[in-house]
Amino acid sequence: MLTYLDWAATTPPDLEILQRALRESSEIFANPSSTHSAGKAAKQLLEGARSSLLSTLGPSFGGNKNPVGLVFTASGTEADQLPMLALLRNPMKGNPSSSDGQIRPHLIVSAIEHAAIDSQAEALGRLGFDITFVKPDTNGIVQPFKVAEALRPTTRLVAVMAVNNETGAIQDIGAIGRSIASSAASLGIRPPLFHVDCVQALGKIPLDLSGGNVTSAAFSAHKIQGPKGVGALWHAKPIEALAVGGGQEGGLRSGTENIFGIVSFAACAAKAVPSMPARLEHALLLEASLLQGLKRISGASAVPLGREPRDPRYSPWIISAAFPGLGGEVFARALSDAGIAVSTGSACSHTHAAKGRRVLDAMGLPKELSFSSIRISFGPDTRVEEVQRFLSTAEDLYRRLKT
Amino acid sequence: MESLFLIKPGEILLKKENQKEFTRRLIQQLHKRLGDIDCAIEEYPGRFFLFVDERFSARAEFVLRHCPGLNGFSRASMCPKTVEAILEATESVANKAIASGARRFKVETRRSDKSFPLGSYAMCAKAGEILLEKFPTLAVDVHNPDFVVNIEIRERAYVYGHTEPGARGLPSGSSAKGLLLLSGGIDSPVAGYMMAKRGAPLECVYFHAYPYTSEEAQRKVEHLALKIAAWCGSLRLWVIPFTDVQMRIKRLAAENSTTIMLRSAMMEAANLLARRIGADAIITGESLGQVASQTAENMAITGAPSNLPIFRPLIGIDKEDTVAMAKKIGTFDISILPYEDCCVLFSPKHPLLKPSFAQQTAAYASLDLTSSIEDSLSKAEKFVYKYKDVLADFNIE
Repeated sequence: MLTYLDWAATTPPDLEILQRALRESSEIFANPSSTHSAGKAAKQLLEGARSSLLSTLGPSFGGNKNPVGLVFTASGTEADQLPMLALLRNPMKGNPSSSDGQIRPHLIVSAIEHAAIDSQAEALGRLGFDITFVKPDTNGIVQPFKVAEALRPTTRLVAVMAVNNETGAIQDIGAIGRSIASSAASLGIRPPLFHVDCVQALGKIPLDLSGGNVTSAAFSAHKIQGPKGVGALWHAKPIEALAVGGGQEGGLRSGTENIFGIVSFAACAAKAVPSMPARLEHALLLEASLLQGLKRISGASAVPLGREPRDPRYSPWIISAAFPGLGGEVFARALSDAGIAVSTGSACSHTHAAKGRRVLDAMGLPKELSFSSIRISFGPDTRVEEVQRFLSTAEDLYRRLKT
Repeated sequence: MESLFLIKPGEILLKKENQKEFTRRLIQQLHKRLGDIDCAIEEYPGRFFLFVDERFSARAEFVLRHCPGLNGFSRASMCPKTVEAILEATESVANKAIASGARRFKVETRRSDKSFPLGSYAMCAKAGEILLEKFPTLAVDVHNPDFVVNIEIRERAYVYGHTEPGARGLPSGSSAKGLLLLSGGIDSPVAGYMMAKRGAPLECVYFHAYPYTSEEAQRKVEHLALKIAAWCGSLRLWVIPFTDVQMRIKRLAAENSTTIMLRSAMMEAANLLARRIGADAIITGESLGQVASQTAENMAITGAPSNLPIFRPLIGIDKEDTVAMAKKIGTFDISILPYEDCCVLFSPKHPLLKPSFAQQTAAYASLDLTSSIEDSLSKAEKFVYKYKDVLADFNIE
């Protein structure tokens, strides 16, 4: 029996919801862009899901008053890419010096972003953008003033994630947004776009972006027991897509809509978000059990060092831990053989290492710790006994394999 | 339809009394690799001819390209020993060359049947004249031709164009069996290829340190072994679980000598295995000075546990040349897959560059690894790669 402690990677699908969505989308199978009555029925199903997800997201996302602001995508990654790639439409837009070829458009990206943002930023860098990667503090938290300091008159977009996928660190999006606004005011410019990757936040922790002047946010279905292959991009300002086609999803994401995935996504969100308070209590128990257990394993430590249970700066669903003297990849492999699934932020091979340790390295964690770290992540079905099983297995394996 | 390949043996022609024996091995190897398809090999002084059903010509080409012991081969056409028939065949060679864009040519004739009415020079001149007449785009260039039309007048007449290079070297089985220390890296597969070309049948040994090294790393080594089998015909790969030995070294050895100790242990294991499988030499991919552990001083120590000769065919080869060879034999892309050994934890921060032989061999002896090594050998996993697996890997029928 597999002890699955890798919910941040993906989650077991909610079969009941998926089967219902499959039935519904098979009965109402027509293309939502078709003008016949069957097409209209499909369109209605699609818009129902959109409206449901908007209302699940809550008032800070404008409620369900402005349904154009939420488009469905094929993944969280795609939802992250859309606002960034849109900048290529007109890189120097709104910049008075745009006629001067010397000045490059600028992006601010936190140094702990998921590869969906991080690699895309690097790609834009190769296309002529200047990129500032803002490092977090040693606790994995991005300080609002650091983001504000990086602001330039040429800054087009800022991207900071809501919850980091390796450490669980929750970023203060409201404060970051306010810092950007005041810094922009002192520079006498309009604030840049502010994109927030909410993939590890939706349905996991309370998500309120109000006061942050957030202009776009990305979500993914399979992190909340929905199917893989569906994401969503919420946006408060119009975005002009770089890739075009049939004009679906307000022209932002062309391609016939994945009705099955979209209906499943909306239903999974509608189930996860209201039950969050109870689920969070459960997550806090799991977190406490793991963090306390780690302290009893000689040599092991939570990452960031000194993370304690119930610290509001961290999502209790995600915990990184270091086992010095044992490569994270090796440990994850040994745990896998023992029937426990966890992830590694670090990979042994040189080619992987640079990427795998990026987040922990940005926090200034010593190499010995980042190299040897693994990520344990929970979901609502995780049981305390599973955490205990992990702890006793990890302790035993660590003692045997540590070098 | 039957295809004919003209085969040019290489080094074996330099042998005197033993030439027959080498020839026998080469023919045997060709038959073994061609398998049970319908084919015939005719043997003449300095030339072999392979007749094979056209459906299997891709297999024949593959075999001829990879079988050590031959210098080159050509698809040839065979015709009666008449000037007319030969000229007709030269036209078809020229036609093919022109289709691939060639313009300048020359004709070469070898006439070992002196009863043929035209001399070599006259035959060349005649063929050249006819070709220029038939194909106005062609021009003669004897110094730098795009293609050569070869005419050989022997027991029959043969006409052929382009000669494909063979692997050269000696046919497999002409030398004693070697045991190759195969890692997942770039060098050791090339070392195996080089010794296979010297006629050594090969077996490979890989030291697996699970969970420190991944299953993917082992898969990679299995694939490399299969690529090497293309040259030596078939081989066995022995995967030795070496984790316990490594842990013992880590625990007992001085930090700066762990690499030397590990390599010594691998050599001891390889030596024991070689004895068991009847190998008379050990082969490694070491190259002088490439890494800290590949200095003369280090090799003296790490080679000490073996009393068999250790062949290091890359010892004087630059990395760039090794990489070029690895690309040529198709192992490079596999070797650079990112599943490297997780030996980072086992490699010292500052390895010894000029260790003392006496001290280190004594230190190695004091680790008392023989029983752990014996134990690891008893748990070895064996993989057998036959030539049909090689053909399947290259998608050849």
